[in-house]
Amino acid sequence: VNIHEYISSGIVESYVLGLADDAERAEFERMCLLHPEVRAAREAFEISVEKQARTSRLEPPAALKSKILSTIEMEYSAKSDRRSGNTPPPPYMGVARDGQNNDGLSKLKVRRMPVGLQKLIAVAAVVLLVLSTALNFYFFNRYREYNQRYQELLASQTQLVQHNQVLQTRMLDYEKAVEMMKDPGMAIVRMPAMPSAPDPNSATIVYWDTTTKDVYLAVSKLPTPSVNEQYQLWAMVDGKPVDAGVFDLNAGPGMFKMKNIPRAEAFAITLEKKGGSPTPSLDKLYVLGKV
Amino acid sequence: LGTTATYTESELVSLLKSRDNKAFSYLYDNYAGALYTIISQVVDDVDAANDVLQEVFVNIWRRIETYDPVKGRLFTWMLNIARNASIDLVRSKSYQNSLRNQSLPQSAEAEFAGSPSIPNIDNIGFRKVLERLKKEHRVLIDLAYFKGYTHEEIAVIEDIPLGTVKTRIRNALIQLREYLK
Repeated sequence: VNIHEYISSGIVESYVLGLADDAERAEFERMCLLHPEVRAAREAFEISVEKQARTSRLEPPAALKSKILSTIEMEYSAKSDRRSGNTPPPPYMGVARDGQNNDGLSKLKVRRMPVGLQKLIAVAAVVLLVLSTALNFYFFNRYREYNQRYQELLASQTQLVQHNQVLQTRMLDYEKAVEMMKDPGMAIVRMPAMPSAPDPNSATIVYWDTTTKDVYLAVSKLPTPSVNEQYQLWAMVDGKPVDAGVFDLNAGPGMFKMKNIPRAEAFAITLEKKGGSPTPSLDKLYVLGKV
Repeated sequence: LGTTATYTESELVSLLKSRDNKAFSYLYDNYAGALYTIISQVVDDVDAANDVLQEVFVNIWRRIETYDPVKGRLFTWMLNIARNASIDLVRSKSYQNSLRNQSLPQSAEAEFAGSPSIPNIDNIGFRKVLERLKKEHRVLIDLAYFKGYTHEEIAVIEDIPLGTVKTRIRNALIQLREYLK
């Protein structure tokens, strides 16, 4: 910017007479600090305005002076008592007007802020409010999203733990079964399919502990029964069938512990109504094996 | 008139800031007339102009701490306080209502003869200098300086483009500087 052009643009007069807007005022005050020529031009114009105003003037009514001085004296003595309560307005040239909303009755009020600045602050406040509302929505949505993901992860973790427990139980079952098979005191009774069995490949094995007389049953193949039927194991003792307990095929892949049988010549399995029968239905004798 | 004490501007300001009554009396004696002139050129009513002058001096007294010599001379600061207070009053609802309540013939007469109570108002102070401007310039300065309209408001009132308003006001101000030299 050419300084001489700036000085002669009318900005000096506009500033001094209070006709410049806020942006122009700020710019001019900056220029005054940067360029002594601008400040000198301002002072020259201020002096000519002052000279003109003081030479060609009206005199106010003579009585006014004492009235004003006493008003001020009253105010000062009142004010010195409660000084700290009244904060002074911010330091600026005091050229902004409050304009339309100013009531003639509140004549003695002190102006605080330029209207432009007030507007700017109001606009900034609204912008910040909108921004913060938007951010609230954004973060709330993010929060919901993450919360949902967290719940999903929690659910899948629970599922994994349950699955793991099932696997562990099964493994323990298998270990137990293997231990039994390795036990030399364990009598093994193979039970092949009988002619009345619907599947000729049906087969089960009874492991019979010769010392404790506990009976374990391993099912290698049996047809799946209907919901109201159950398989029942029988021990043949002196030619008579003795109930050795019922079992479910889907109870697990391991061995079923059956009732304790102290003495037997043979073992057999029949299909019975759910819960078992007191005597075996021989037409549904599926497997049988002699000790 | 009796006391012949004179102060430099910075002396006067620091005395005013220390609430020196004598300095304030000096300020009044030296500047009240100039400030009363600008007030009277904005406010037609004598009683109202007197009230504004009182308001202005009370404000100078209250706000002297906020005066910043870096931004301008003391008189410029006071002049702007006086002009703003005058325009605020004229634009206030209560003042507008009091004007409306005046009888029509009286105000018509006043308009014809100039204000009866403040004669020769156009031949003193800043107005006198304004008279030398071209009419198209004078009208805009009157609206901007004495009536306090913004450039945007003037563009609407005069029905001319905002750019033209700005240019004319700037040109008028450059002219005024020449007349004031």
